[in-house]
Order: sequence, then C-alpha cells, then structure tokens
Amino acid sequence: MTRRILVSIVVIVTGLLLQSTLFWNLKLLGVRPELMFLVTILIAILEGPQEGAITGFAAGLAQDFLLNQPKGITALTLTLVGYAAGLARNYIVSPSPLLPTILVAVGTAAGVVFYQVVAFLLGQLDEPFSFAVRVTLLSALYGAILTPIVYPLLRRVIEGSRPTRVVRF
Amino acid sequence: MVTRQRPRSTRLLVVALVSASLAVITLDYRQGESGPLAGVGTAAKTFMAPLQQAVTTVTEPVGDFFSGLAHLPSLADENERLKEEVAELSSTIQQEGFDQAQFETLRDLQELSLTLAPPVVSAAAVTGNGFSNFEYTVTINKGTVDGIEVNQPVATGSPESPMLVGLVVDVTAISADVRLIIDRDSAVAATVENTREAGLVEGQGASDLRMGFISPGTLIEGDEPVFTQGYELDGQAGLYPPGMLIGQVSRFVPAENETQEYIEVRPAVDFETLQFVLVLQAGSDA
Repeated sequence: MTRRILVSIVVIVTGLLLQSTLFWNLKLLGVRPELMFLVTILIAILEGPQEGAITGFAAGLAQDFLLNQPKGITALTLTLVGYAAGLARNYIVSPSPLLPTILVAVGTAAGVVFYQVVAFLLGQLDEPFSFAVRVTLLSALYGAILTPIVYPLLRRVIEGSRPTRVVRF
Repeated sequence: MVTRQRPRSTRLLVVALVSASLAVITLDYRQGESGPLAGVGTAAKTFMAPLQQAVTTVTEPVGDFFSGLAHLPSLADENERLKEEVAELSSTIQQEGFDQAQFETLRDLQELSLTLAPPVVSAAAVTGNGFSNFEYTVTINKGTVDGIEVNQPVATGSPESPMLVGLVVDVTAISADVRLIIDRDSAVAATVENTREAGLVEGQGASDLRMGFISPGTLIEGDEPVFTQGYELDGQAGLYPPGMLIGQVSRFVPAENETQEYIEVRPAVDFETLQFVLVLQAGSDA
C-alpha cells in the first residue's frame, strides 16, 4: 500500500513538473496539455472509480496549491472526473485499444468545461468564450495524442506497484 | 485490470472528497493570503522549485532537439549517414548560437542592472512556468533569502531598451512567482510615446495587451512604443517604474462608446523564450 501511494505521488509530481517546464515549449497551438487530467483518467481506467476519485483529488489539490488562484477547484473537478472515468470503464465493455484515448479526450473536455464553469461562478475566470472553447478542445486533443505514449508506461508502473501474491506449498 | 468495488462505499468516498474540495474552496476564499492554506501553498512551491530548476536544465536540450528537428531540411533521397551528419552539425551550430545568445542576454542584463533607476534587488533565472492554461506566470530561482518580496517589478532587456516583464505575486524562501503583464489580472499604467496619451494596459492572455482609457479622437499610429508611466497616489508610488517598454501598438480598436478608445499592444518581451530577469525594488521603497 505504501509503495502504491509513493508511486502515485511520483506520477503526480512528475506530471506537474513536466507541465510547468517541458510542455511550456511544446504547446499545441498555444495550449498546454492538462497532464493531471490525463493521469487521473488513465489511473481511473486502470484501477476503477475509487482509485480514480482519490488520485483526482490528490492531483487536483497538488495543482491547486501551486497555482496563484483560488484553491480547491481543480481538486473538485478531478475528483469527479476520476470517478466518472472509472465508472465509464466499468460499464463500457469494449476491446478497442482506442477506448482509453476516447475516454481521455471526452473526460478532459468535460473536466475543463466543468472547471471553467465553477471558476466563472466563483468570479475567478474572465476569459472570452472563444478562448475557453479553444482551450477545451485543444487540451482534449493533446490528451488524446499523449494517451498512446503515457497509457502503456503508466500501466506498467501501476502493475509494478501491485503487491505480488506469493503462493506457498 | 479493473477491480470491481462496492459502489456504496465508493459513492461515500466521492461525497467525502467533494465535500473536502468544497471546504478547501471556502477556507481559501475566506482566509485569502493569510490562512494555513496559503502556508501549504508556499511549502508546496518551496518543494517544487528546485525540482523545476533541475527538470528545466535537463529538458532544455530536448526542447532544442525538437526545435532542431523543425528546422532540418527534409530531403527524401538523402542517405542515412548524411542525414545524421547534417543533424549533428545543425545541433552544434544551434548550440553555439544558443550559447552566444545566452551570453549576450546576460551581458545586456548586467549592463541594464547598472542603469536602472529603481535599484536591482537580484538577477534571476526562469525555472518554470505556470501550471494552468488560465494563468500566465513564471517561477524564478530567487526568493526571500535574496531579498525578493511581493509587489516588486520584474524587468529584462538591455540598457537601451529596458522591458517590463511583470510583478512578483508570491514568494518562498528560494523561489518566487512572477505574474506576467499578459496575465488577465495584470494592469499597468502606461503612456504612448509620441502622443503622450495615458491609459491602462491590461493583459489578455495569449492575445495582444489592451490599452484602455484613451481620449476619443486621439490619433495613434501603428508600431508606436508604449511605456510604463510613473504616478503617485496619496504619497504612494505606483508599482512599476516609469519609462520601461511594454510593447508596440499593433491595432487601433474603434470606440465602443463616446468616451473611450482602445489600442492593442504587442508585448515587447517574448515570454516563450524568457530565461533571465531582473527583480527591482518596489515602487514605494525605491
């Protein structure tokens, strides 16, 4: 369990570091990927709604504390995104390898819209509608592009962190 | 592998996490910059600052690599050996060009620091950028131990053309967050060089800055430079020193009503490639 928590922390910190450094120079038409959304949704797909919600809350809170904006909105958003992605994975039975990519794209788009609506209602967002739509679509597209690279890596890391069952005779 | 969990306990957990998130939003809203949540934020930034610096150092060549790829000629009939040779030579040239550009930037900043009117508190390197698509900030590698404080202006450029970068909005012992002038929460008192028309330059994110409060009928031409304007209110100096270049007029926006006109201003600083800055003493302390 401790190993599992440590792995999650390392994944979240790595995502935050890459988002604020490397991906600043690798923008897609001016928009950076939402790596915390990507990590949350992929862990939810791999582990289910409970793990998805917990990872989303932790990743969102970590990002909130690094922003110079009101804290808690990202945690709220990612908790719901993680839970919903885990539920969707439970109920959608498809062998398609594209399923994670589609879930990431849809989940990121829905999550970014939810974040903007909450931030707007709290008087914290003053972006034009066109910019909001652009960020939503491009961050969803960027997440979908990154999924085939990140998903196998994350699956390997998560499976490696599971305790191995030892059968003694 | 997806594990089936008891739905009821999962739902209870989600309700608890959502409640915790709402509690954080409420606490942060009520306590602002003085509560324990602000302290946690400072601790998180202190933890991340050296990691960001290390990652920036490591990933810089990766950025150069992708940049190099974009500029390499693509000749389909070229054999593999020649391609590798070209890539190697291009990389060497780019590295030399990069080193030369970096040297010139640092030399300009050194000269600029000797000529600026408000004393320079510290020179700093940019080690990270904002974490969100809705926030335009950079993180620098100097903090309270170097004399950095909130509300200190940040500049870059050369002695001939000092340029405004932004304002320190948060500081830890070893790092500080600088809100760029393109951030939507940024507002700078400014003046257009030739017409001496004064106004307020506000950030518009990825778009050009917008300068409002311009008198109707004012004739402003394209490419006119826009500088910061000094002012004093109740004995308190403004946040930014006067005479720093903000950008150039890129577009005239017709008046939406009878009393005001607007212009758009293209920032002078290229925030995508910003590497080094000077933090200046705050207006009221200078």
